Amino acid sequence: MGLSRYVLGRVAWAGIVSLVIVTATFLLLSFAPNPNIQEAATQAALEGNDPAEAVERERELRGLDEPLYVRYVDFLNGVYTFDWGWSNSRAQPVTEALLESLYYTAQYSVPWTILTVLLGPLVGIYSAANMYNWRDHAATGFSFAGYAMPNFFFAIVISLVFAVWLDLIPVTYKTGVDVFSLQNLRQLAAPIFVLVTGSIAGTMRVARNESAEYINSDFMKTAKAKGVSPLRAYLYHVTRPTMVPLSTTLVGQLLALFLGASLLIEVIFGIPGIGKTTFDAIIAQDTNLVLGATLVFTFIAVVGNLLEDLVFTILDPRISFDDR
Amino acid sequence: MSRDIDRTNGPANALSRRQWLAMLGVGSATALAGCLGGDGDDEGNGGENGGTNGGENGGENGGTNGGENGGTNGGENGGENGQSQFPAVSGRYRTNSSASFETLNPVYNTESGAGTAIGRALDQGYTFTPDNEVFPLLYDLSTDSGEVWVFDVREDLQFSDPYGQVTAQDFVYYIQEIHKGPFNSANSSEWGEDINVVQNSEFEFQAELPNPQLLWPETFAPLEYPVPQGLLEPYVQEEDDEGLQQDSELLELQFTGNLGPFSLDEWNRGAGTSYSRNDDYYIQNLDYGPDLFAEAPYFEGADIEVVTSQTSRLNQLSTGEVDASAIPAPRFQEFQDNPNVSVRQIPQPFNSLTALNMRDNGWTGGPGNLFRYKEFRQAMAIAVNKTELINGVLRGLGAPHFTWQPRFSAFYPPEDRIEEFKFGVEPLVGPEMARQRAREALDRSEFDYRFDGDTLVRPDGNTINLTHYHSAGQETERLTCEFVAQEMDEAFGINVNVEAIDGTQYSQNYWSASPQGGTDTVRGEEVTWENPAPTNPGPRSVTSDNAWDMSNVFGLNTFPRNPLTNSAFFDGVTSFYNPVGYYPEDFDPASLFQQAREATSREAFNQAMYDLFANIAREQPYLMLYFQDDLTGYNPNLVGPIEDFANGWNFPAWYFDE
Amino acid sequence: MATQKPDRFDDVNWGELADNRRINLTINTKLALVTIVPIVLAALFDWQFVDGRETLTEELGSLAGEELGPVSTLLETVGVLGFFKGFGLSFDPTPVDYLFVITLLLFVFYIILVLWQNPRMTKYYWKEFRRNRPAVVSLVWLGILAVVGLIGPFFYPKPEQNVLHGHQPPAFWEIDNANAATCLGEVQGGMCQGTWEYPLGTTRAGRDVLGFIIHGATISLQIAFIVTFLVVVLGVSFGTISAYAGGWVDELMMRFTDIVLSFPTLILFLLVTYIYGSSLGLFIIIFAAFGWGGTARYVRSKALSVSEEEFIKATRISGASVRRTVARHVMPNTASSIITQITLLTPGFLIFEAQLAFLQLGADVPSWGQLIATGETDIEFAPWIVLAPGIVLFLTILAFNFVGDAILDALNPEAEAEADRAEADA
Repeated sequence: MGLSRYVLGRVAWAGIVSLVIVTATFLLLSFAPNPNIQEAATQAALEGNDPAEAVERERELRGLDEPLYVRYVDFLNGVYTFDWGWSNSRAQPVTEALLESLYYTAQYSVPWTILTVLLGPLVGIYSAANMYNWRDHAATGFSFAGYAMPNFFFAIVISLVFAVWLDLIPVTYKTGVDVFSLQNLRQLAAPIFVLVTGSIAGTMRVARNESAEYINSDFMKTAKAKGVSPLRAYLYHVTRPTMVPLSTTLVGQLLALFLGASLLIEVIFGIPGIGKTTFDAIIAQDTNLVLGATLVFTFIAVVGNLLEDLVFTILDPRISFDDR
Repeated sequence: MSRDIDRTNGPANALSRRQWLAMLGVGSATALAGCLGGDGDDEGNGGENGGTNGGENGGENGGTNGGENGGTNGGENGGENGQSQFPAVSGRYRTNSSASFETLNPVYNTESGAGTAIGRALDQGYTFTPDNEVFPLLYDLSTDSGEVWVFDVREDLQFSDPYGQVTAQDFVYYIQEIHKGPFNSANSSEWGEDINVVQNSEFEFQAELPNPQLLWPETFAPLEYPVPQGLLEPYVQEEDDEGLQQDSELLELQFTGNLGPFSLDEWNRGAGTSYSRNDDYYIQNLDYGPDLFAEAPYFEGADIEVVTSQTSRLNQLSTGEVDASAIPAPRFQEFQDNPNVSVRQIPQPFNSLTALNMRDNGWTGGPGNLFRYKEFRQAMAIAVNKTELINGVLRGLGAPHFTWQPRFSAFYPPEDRIEEFKFGVEPLVGPEMARQRAREALDRSEFDYRFDGDTLVRPDGNTINLTHYHSAGQETERLTCEFVAQEMDEAFGINVNVEAIDGTQYSQNYWSASPQGGTDTVRGEEVTWENPAPTNPGPRSVTSDNAWDMSNVFGLNTFPRNPLTNSAFFDGVTSFYNPVGYYPEDFDPASLFQQAREATSREAFNQAMYDLFANIAREQPYLMLYFQDDLTGYNPNLVGPIEDFANGWNFPAWYFDE
Repeated sequence: MATQKPDRFDDVNWGELADNRRINLTINTKLALVTIVPIVLAALFDWQFVDGRETLTEELGSLAGEELGPVSTLLETVGVLGFFKGFGLSFDPTPVDYLFVITLLLFVFYIILVLWQNPRMTKYYWKEFRRNRPAVVSLVWLGILAVVGLIGPFFYPKPEQNVLHGHQPPAFWEIDNANAATCLGEVQGGMCQGTWEYPLGTTRAGRDVLGFIIHGATISLQIAFIVTFLVVVLGVSFGTISAYAGGWVDELMMRFTDIVLSFPTLILFLLVTYIYGSSLGLFIIIFAAFGWGGTARYVRSKALSVSEEEFIKATRISGASVRRTVARHVMPNTASSIITQITLLTPGFLIFEAQLAFLQLGADVPSWGQLIATGETDIEFAPWIVLAPGIVLFLTILAFNFVGDAILDALNPEAEAEADRAEADA
């Protein structure tokens, strides 16, 4: 009852946030100088024509001569009908460009996310259970090392060692390969490995610290006294309250890493994913594609936050939202 | 951003967009390399074009009608038995590109990387041999006096279904309706109002130029792709520019028939292109040109992979994953020693220079403008040690630049005429000599600049501060910029502040200005700017929005094939391209250009050119630094690449020698 | 004379206390103000009166020379003038430098000084901290880094370009002679040996790698301090207030945080860089302005848990104001979470800067990220260019993590007590 109202409210809010952000991006882009316009002016001048006239024509061609609000409304219409325009830098519709890119990004980011979500908390709780033991130190040290190592640096070194010296993996990613083939696994192994070692530490650390509070708490002692198996005790009684603040960190971290890390990994390993596409679009000032990509990222971010909040409230029974 | 290379081309009058944007000598439509992506200078033009300088786009020629078996008469024997004189068709030709292609639409494309990609599937009208001769591909160009050029179209060219045979009609329609029409095509400015195009017969048409041009093909104005009229018609009727840009048959090169060595299989925007061999390539029927064309091409397919990271591109080269890639200078030696790679050092005509702002908003270090005196420019040229610069930055893989032609050009002045102007190398080098030369300039200035010991000081006694811009993200340019700054400090005590700037920003706000025109007195005569352009907006009093002193953001083409094109730079003070506000001091370049145009013999033409370039060497309108060599590495089994400026002209004849 | 009975809490006149309008400044605040205000004034002076062509000290110097003659003579007599001149006529602090000094001073007065003022607490924390050996080592490393970053640039010259000295190997290493521009050491068997002139070798441009590391340390310090400070201030305020206030205030603040959090900061940064050119200041501002969302959310979730605790209710019943409760009860108890957050944040920003430098978008400062970016292309034959900053960066981030962990354990009495008992049991 309170829950469903809350969820609906938040979903509606997700829509509004996306709108606000995309509007902000739209405004940003419209104020940036467009090199194509300048080129047109230059060309006209060289031909002996009037540059001002050429600029007008170019603007008309690109629909930039309309007043801002008209362009904005057109843009909004396009968004909701999924006609996100034509990408000038890729000579294809924006939706196609984004889908293609997402297809490649998903191939490494889905395994990456699954592994992180599984391994992080596991290692963290294990560490907390063996607190101050050498096992704790080893696990902590290992995951810290993974976090501290800058991803791109690590990726370059891995690429050098395994691709160039040992010739075990290809230097760059080949797109023609079947998704579920061994070859695809081979060429994705390195990017996924680099990404997972980088992201585990954050979640592991938080899991360790949060669960440390509960491991030595009274209810755990009760459970032990009752004869509950340690495994069940940890999995059920410790994990659940740990997930509360952990979920916040998890989503926040993953989202934050998403654009940054994926872009660099994609550049180094040559994966034509969405990070790289967005980056190239910004450089090329391909407005339509940048806006489309922003929409996608914003949507992911907002939905992520929403999920995070939902999980948080569901998992911690002390916090109710009837009085919100 | 990448290297913004400004290249202008073309005769005195209308400068076309292609001319404005034209890249290296050979090849298809290329462009202001807005974003070749990555370190443009290091990957040069080699890597993307698979080790050519765009030449291979023009380099597709015909062969006999062999078919795969390699037999000349279409028989099944021949090649398979290994007894044929032609190599076997084997392997795929793989290259990499530093950036993805914005479009593969031949009507609109202006990038060189995409040009290479298009060129694999579609030939252009002609190309140039290493001897600088026109090599006809789709049509032959001939003229009597240079005023009327006749295009003789081959009769065995076919588009894919349903467009049928290529005729003169297709070209004429293309030129009339698209280039001359309201479309924003790549070559639209080549074909101005005053060029009259007429179809003479089914396979012949002609172009009537307003002024005779003996070297018209060298300007690349008549270099065209074949595009079917049937494909264009619907868009012409609707005047739909946008639709034409987005037409999928043009984008995916579905219409190419027998017009290219390969046909495009797939274009994956983020990953690159892949092609398969075109068995019916028309070049097999060419009855002139290299014998190898008879069975061309000799690869089963080709791939161009988009790889943004330079390290990855080089790694691909060393592991043999690609057959050609550009190599940056510091790694050249390493690849030379590598038995798995065969390297080529190819001279190229794009120069590296430091532009000195002689306009009113230049020389911000004090009153007046010392850049305006040729003695001071000479002094600066003496101060910068070119030998050290080339050895340090280019690791010796380049040539010093003294005048507006590379050393390999046929129009480079003879030694005796240029000897005393070789600034920056022994014996005309060093801080002491630079100061001596500078003193001569100081006398000419109305302000009291003087030397306080070894430091040049302003009238108020303070040291001079200048700013030197370079293109952000370009390693070689930055190193050069800083080297020049250091030499200025050493020789004159001038404090040069090095700044990175985005190429487009620089071009819009510093380099170009709003054309205003005006009048000024040059060498006693009054000159009026009748047709001001953003790159020469008027006399020195007309300036851009932002002040600047020195920059090496742009490198310029020196047009060794057609030196007359350089009139865009130096044809008097009102030339098209003079952003720095250079006024020739001791000679009249306009008259020399005129002399060349009117020359009736090759000898006379050359003399005029020698005069011109010797004078330019003396005047140093820009600080001319060096010509960087193109460094490319190839698969050692690849037969075909040559160490010449025209490398790649005969690309269909390349093969793997296993 | 009856002994005065101590005040019982039900006798306390809360109204009087709450109404107390006098602003009671702690000594910390006073010291901070005394030092920070002159810096701010100097910054304003720099901004308004110092021409772009001149530097701050030049201007001050000319002022001192012309108008404050007696002052400069005084300084000279005392022997201090040389020190100021020693800053060099070219000491031109940037806005980032000013902000850095201010943040440093805040750090000194509100953390270091507080620790010094409460010796018993400090000793206790230190005892706990010491138990974690890797953390102690890390703290030492960070300390060295701080010292190097702060005073190193005064002693070691900034790396200068010298193309002929490109690709020199470090003192104990060698490189294929073909790859170096000229060899400063001897050439043995085709391999150019390193020299002590460039203890860690040089880049392609001939810049000293050791100099890069030292000056890069300063840049890293600046980023670490300033950005973290800004983000923590914003994030913690938002988070705790929002959690405690609850209701629609909470909703509103969190929704606003949503927007900030979801904002594609990288895109904004790219666009702005594209137009205005990139600079360290820009980087700091943009990432501080948009980076506090995560912190706010995390702190809020922690604070929510704390707010439900009994002692908060007790405080409220006793009549403490919202401000007092939040400042003196909620915040300190979420401190451990905040500290965890800081130790994850700071290295994050350092890595971010390095990533941007790698993408050729970084500011034109000699940071470690820039060095990795320049050296990446040469990794096969000149690995020291990438390894030196890579390792230093790696160790720094590792250090932050260990230290943060140890601080957390030290500040968390519950976990510690239980751990003690657990150890005793085991």
